Amino acid sequence: MNNGKAVVLVVEDSTIIRMGAVDLVLSAGYEALEANDAEEAIRILESRNDVDLVFTDVQMPGTMDGIKLSHYIRDRWPPVQLIVASGEAILEESSLPTGSKFFSKPYDERTIIETMALLMLKDV
Amino acid sequence: MLQTPTEHFEAASTLAVVVSSHEPLLFLSEEQRVIAASASFCRAFAIDPATVSGKCLSELGNGEWAMPKLASLLRATASGSAQIEAYEIDLERPNQTARNLVVNARTLDDGDRDHVRLLLAVTDVTDERAAARLKDDLIREKAILLQEVQHRVANSLQIIASVLMQSARRVQSEEARGQLRNAHNRVMSIAALQRQLSTASGETVELRTYFIQLSQSLGASMIDDPDRLSILVKSDDTTVSAGVSVSLGLIVTELVINALKHAFPDQPTGQIVIDYHSSGKDWTLSVADNGVGMPLGGDAPKAGLGTGIVEALAKNLSGTVAATDANPGTIVTISHRENSDSRDGLPQA
Repeated sequence: MNNGKAVVLVVEDSTIIRMGAVDLVLSAGYEALEANDAEEAIRILESRNDVDLVFTDVQMPGTMDGIKLSHYIRDRWPPVQLIVASGEAILEESSLPTGSKFFSKPYDERTIIETMALLMLKDV
Repeated sequence: MLQTPTEHFEAASTLAVVVSSHEPLLFLSEEQRVIAASASFCRAFAIDPATVSGKCLSELGNGEWAMPKLASLLRATASGSAQIEAYEIDLERPNQTARNLVVNARTLDDGDRDHVRLLLAVTDVTDERAAARLKDDLIREKAILLQEVQHRVANSLQIIASVLMQSARRVQSEEARGQLRNAHNRVMSIAALQRQLSTASGETVELRTYFIQLSQSLGASMIDDPDRLSILVKSDDTTVSAGVSVSLGLIVTELVINALKHAFPDQPTGQIVIDYHSSGKDWTLSVADNGVGMPLGGDAPKAGLGTGIVEALAKNLSGTVAATDANPGTIVTISHRENSDSRDGLPQA
């Protein structure tokens, strides 16, 4: 938490979709951070300790996709909540860390906001 | 009295039949010596026909036919304990790629039980197997490509949806905001169909599942209090082509948006029911609400964009639109009757 505001890190390589996701996070009343890929996301997570939730895409450039990233985060920063979105309609639920939520794109913004609120509640 | 082994002669006609066989064929003694080989066999496996007679199977060519498994299967066939049917072996020859062979062996039954002889038919299926592999590869590639395309479509729809929602959040006018949200809902209803298609095995869409997804998507974005307003889907097991389902889905989207906007201004609770049923080629789609009802006749408001969209889509499907009082509420029905259709002289596919 940062000044009482929950912090959400958006990881998404498409600029327009990332803008939309950041806008969504802000409109939900959280603070938004953004990363273009998994590496940048990990750098941000290492540099600060107030990220409450990571909202990540699956297909991204670089060595780590969103699924690998979510496992990495679950291992290194267990309290960080995870939401994963992908253009793939079906994703093996088992391929994601337990407790993370998956949505296929295009996601419904209200559902994402509700899920964030729910996960933050767990976080407290 | 001692029996001296005598040479056994085959009927000339038998040998002639074997030699002239179109299918590569070997006529073997019980000891797996070649009595005759078809010209097609010699040609197919590059063996000099002059050298085959009396040779052991294992000595043919450069010894490439000395396959222990084949020899033991032929022994079993000769003893009557087994029969080789469509047994697959690989023929390996130096400096040549291996050939995939299918062999069939049986004993020759001509009434002479003292002399067991074997007929071995050999089919070279290398090219067929290669073609089948190529086809499998193509199918796999196509599946991957299709997945890639679906992925891109999903991402593109996400971009449009994101932009529309960002615009809706920024715009000042309540009416404009409503229009942007409606546009967003239309995009999401196409997305629901896209998702349905990408998870379906064929080219058809199961309507009930699709309508349920649609109503969930519309409800999630338009209903603030799910305890107050709900959307129910009643549909039979009909599946339709992707093209038809786009039109049906958009009609449902427009009608549900309309009902959610106008039917329940102050009602404590309300329900919208999406119903689709078909009989043969006739079908009826209806969206009913139990709200305040729609002013009909002279009091009816000027038709909006949604009404225009519904009418255009219904016309596409050769359907007619009717709005009636449901007491309480309104029911809009799109019906398609095959008879009226043929009179219109619609172009046949």
